[in-house]
Amino acid sequence: MTPSFIHSFQSERLKTKRSLALWIVIIGGFFTPVIVTIIRLVQYKTLPAMYSSDKFWMQLWQNSWESMAIFLLPMGVVLATSLITQIEYKNNTWKQLHTTPLSLTTIFFSKLTVILVMMFQFFVLFNIGIYLSAIIPYLLVSGVPYPKAPFSYLYFLEQNLFYFIDCLPIIALQYLISMQFKNFLVPVGAGFVFWFGALASLSWKYGYIIPYTYTTFLFLKSGVANKAAIPDFNFHWLAVGYFVVITAVSYALYVTKKEKG
Amino acid sequence: MPDYCIQTNNLTHHFSEQEVLHEINLKVETGSIYGFLGPNGAGKTTTLRLALGLLKKQQGAIYFFGLPFHENRISILKKIGSLIESPSLYGHLTAKENLSLLQKVYQCPKERIQHVLNLVGLPDTGNKKASQFSLGMKQRLSIAIALLHNPALLILDEPTNGLDPNGIIEVRELLKKLNQEDGITILISSHLLAEIEKLVTHVGIINQGRLLFQGTLDDLKNRQQLSLQTVFETSDQEKTLRLMSDHNLSPRVENGKIILPSLARETIATLNQKLVASDVQVYEISIVKNDLESIFIDMINH
Repeated sequence: MTPSFIHSFQSERLKTKRSLALWIVIIGGFFTPVIVTIIRLVQYKTLPAMYSSDKFWMQLWQNSWESMAIFLLPMGVVLATSLITQIEYKNNTWKQLHTTPLSLTTIFFSKLTVILVMMFQFFVLFNIGIYLSAIIPYLLVSGVPYPKAPFSYLYFLEQNLFYFIDCLPIIALQYLISMQFKNFLVPVGAGFVFWFGALASLSWKYGYIIPYTYTTFLFLKSGVANKAAIPDFNFHWLAVGYFVVITAVSYALYVTKKEKG
Repeated sequence: MPDYCIQTNNLTHHFSEQEVLHEINLKVETGSIYGFLGPNGAGKTTTLRLALGLLKKQQGAIYFFGLPFHENRISILKKIGSLIESPSLYGHLTAKENLSLLQKVYQCPKERIQHVLNLVGLPDTGNKKASQFSLGMKQRLSIAIALLHNPALLILDEPTNGLDPNGIIEVRELLKKLNQEDGITILISSHLLAEIEKLVTHVGIINQGRLLFQGTLDDLKNRQQLSLQTVFETSDQEKTLRLMSDHNLSPRVENGKIILPSLARETIATLNQKLVASDVQVYEISIVKNDLESIFIDMINH
């Protein structure tokens, strides 16, 4: 990692301050946990039994990831990635950025790293949110015991890692599209089309070809596997492969672009 | 120190089939303030975008500080501050934040942020976002960004767009000061000669992608001298023309008046005497001075 990359990364991070992408990460991270908390507070009579269950943490994990894995995470990635790249187009700043003493490689990868770091922040916030959605009802509702179920740190960390890996092809493809098109609607529209395509192809045996399917596959794999044709191989490697290949193509398209602002 | 801060050799560029630049040989002397003039669409911005690597070069060569640009892009860009076309600002950030993110890239002292804000007359815009700035304020902030890392060369594409007359004067004085006190070479483009006439030491005039003139402002003023004209209006045009031809002069008629190139005072007096002696009534003898603007317009129209 060169000093210029670090400086460029710091600069790119500052650009996300007060940006819509940052708000999507913060709100997206806490959205589902807030809903889960509200539902639990409304159905407070069921809480003592729920909190005594041996599978409390696993159930909470599944409940929290249900809408996240299938809908919110892919959509959030589509929007956040597109918005970060669009900062330059929207503000007409590509020309300013391309006249700074930074190599195109540094610019390309520092922007991508900012997106990846934001996704990591999202995962951290989401995990904090999940934990709070368990603790808040316990603190507010009398008679609710602290969950006695085992907390599988390693399992949850592994699942987080897999979800993160499964997001990577979406990030790479959205990054590629949004770097090429000035119109914000193009990457967002493409993201929606791919996501709908992914949902439609879940039960197709070759559905894994569409890189937007992996977060849904991962969720369904641990619960309702019969609803989808989940590939019987380790599709996380496929996600990594897609990410590498799409990023390489994206980089090549970026550095060979005839107009740079 | 190389003689030229910027030098282009036969820079030619096409958009699709259309040639937008034809063999541009720009030579910006170190220490000068170079006015790059031309009407809208003449090729000024395209030349500057090519020079800075914002457009992929097709033909020709570009040198900064004596070094080829593409092989030395990063080291060259460290020494250049630029403002190309409209301001490039992050609207959701404040003036200080806009400068701060570039301070991180250039790794210049943090004190430079307040220094350049003071220089351009934006010492305290507080938490106001750049998107809420007026066009003039945006333009000033863009100039501050170009100055942030104390560059050796400033490239400013129409930097006074959107500024009020006072703002234009302030920017002009600031650029003069930067050139004279800090030795910064400045290339400033404009479509109005009058706007930069009081600022520049050198001028390049471009039209339809061709560099029509390049030299010092004095060279251009010499052309002004050459373009002085003497105008005669008399009661008998034919007789007057004959008389002038007899004196080995080459008059021409324009709008009913007889035009001669610049004449010595004695020649004018002699001609007047002869006309009167030939019973020709002389209504007018005048000297027309073409200002620089009309030379510029004349140049781009022919």
